[in-house]
Amino acid sequence: MTDDLFAAVPTLWLFIFFFAPLALTAAISFGHSSFGDVAFGMTLDNYRTALSGFYRVAFLRTLQFAATGCLLCIVVAFPAAFFIARRSGRFEKAAIVLVLVPYFTSFLIRVMSWQILLSRGGPGEALLHGLHLYSGPLDLMDTKTAVFIGMVYSYLPIAIVPLYVVLRRIPVALEDAGRDLGAGRFSTFFLIILPLARPGIATAILLTGVPMLGEMVIPTLLGGDRGVLMGQAISSQYIDAQNYALGSAMAMLVLVSVGVLVALLARFTRGFAETAP
Amino acid sequence: MRRSNPAPTSLAGRAGDAGLALWYALVVVFLFAPIATSIVYSFNLGTLGKQTALFTGWTLGWYGAAFDNLTLRHAVETSLVVSLYSAIIAVFVGSALGFAMVRHPRAAVRAALTGMTYILLIVPETVMGVSLLLFYAVTEIRLGMATLVAGITPLAISVTALIVRAGVLTLDRKLEDAAADLGAGRLQTFRFVVLPHLAPAIAAAALMAYVFSFDNLVVSTFLTTPLVNTLPVYLYGSLQYGPSPAIYAAASAIFAFTLAIVAVAGLLYRLAVRR
Repeated sequence: MTDDLFAAVPTLWLFIFFFAPLALTAAISFGHSSFGDVAFGMTLDNYRTALSGFYRVAFLRTLQFAATGCLLCIVVAFPAAFFIARRSGRFEKAAIVLVLVPYFTSFLIRVMSWQILLSRGGPGEALLHGLHLYSGPLDLMDTKTAVFIGMVYSYLPIAIVPLYVVLRRIPVALEDAGRDLGAGRFSTFFLIILPLARPGIATAILLTGVPMLGEMVIPTLLGGDRGVLMGQAISSQYIDAQNYALGSAMAMLVLVSVGVLVALLARFTRGFAETAP
Repeated sequence: MRRSNPAPTSLAGRAGDAGLALWYALVVVFLFAPIATSIVYSFNLGTLGKQTALFTGWTLGWYGAAFDNLTLRHAVETSLVVSLYSAIIAVFVGSALGFAMVRHPRAAVRAALTGMTYILLIVPETVMGVSLLLFYAVTEIRLGMATLVAGITPLAISVTALIVRAGVLTLDRKLEDAAADLGAGRLQTFRFVVLPHLAPAIAAAALMAYVFSFDNLVVSTFLTTPLVNTLPVYLYGSLQYGPSPAIYAAASAIFAFTLAIVAVAGLLYRLAVRR
């Protein structure tokens, strides 16, 4: 009795405030587009519009941005996670907490300071000049690079965590065995560690890729008005153009992309038991 | 099981490990530098009341300016209330969910609930925000405090459910059996055995739900109105048009506030998952 109540209350609440709105969006995406009005229907026009011209470019750009951002995140996160899981010794707990702390603080404060760091004459420029890595003014604000920096920065902690969780489960004995059998450091890494880390990589891709597919805040604050991404395009369909049907179709395209990503990752980790943290 | 390697003896091995340590250190610097920048620049004089990339001098004035800004203060009050409501709902609904995910007698129900919780986490917030806006438009419910709270609860619920679930997983079923053997009814067992054990997990979950709700920006962007405007949404709006350093002062103050809550939640969580 209590068991069923415990299951039913959250299900009911989430059906009303989560799944019903999503279902409505799905329904409206087949509706007729009109200004500021909601009209149900059974047409694919919105999808046709969403996949042509300017919107098509925005959609493809978003996929490309999310894929690149995800990859960059994992490349930066992996060595750090490896260090925390296998080389930090008795400081392991402190080492993982340290990278997690920024994630649990205000998202906005973490993104907004990049406006200063990347601006001409700012501390970022001063640092690069000081290290003799770069000379001349730094012109990164309102560029693609700024958006990538912002995305990698924002989601790095949640890429590190699943990688850390999976890497700390791989027995050191396997590394030793590989080495005893004549594998060098690189073959040990690529033939033993990396394949066993697959579930962690998949989770990291999911956790970073999903927000990147819908990203709205980072490109607005750091990318200027050049190169609109889907998150911004959807938002402006609702807020400015008030074409709910087209906005819904675009939102559904993002959701379908997320679904495809989940399916691909499930395939990628086939054969592993449940390893979610 | 030994998990750490002994110090490698070969030169290449040591160089590799030093490289990993260096990489980790750089990641930590990368993660904290922007936060430090925000805090430092909340003391920046700026030019003509605007934030500048060049540090022009120290002042404490922006904290006062932020405090005197009535719109900002109103936004802070709204945020405090909205996240409180959201956290309260999340504690009840999310804890029930977290408990049922582990303890519901039927495996199919457990799997469905777990799947549902993960779906909450993989729907992009932008999609959720516009869906809710549409939902309230179609059902002709006027946007206000209640619609905003309801809109941000799913995220808070998923966070609460996952933390409470971790706590339930460490709960020893034998204790409940013992209580039953000693004559306690189901409700009594729950009240006197299960709940006290889960208390730290639930408290940690409540605090995290509060922080997540307080920081929510994307879903809130779509559901705030001129009357019900939360702090992150207000700051986000200001940031798009050459902000005053007072915005940085306000953000730094929230940073300290959320960090303190997260620290307490972290301590409670450690208590919760210890067997």
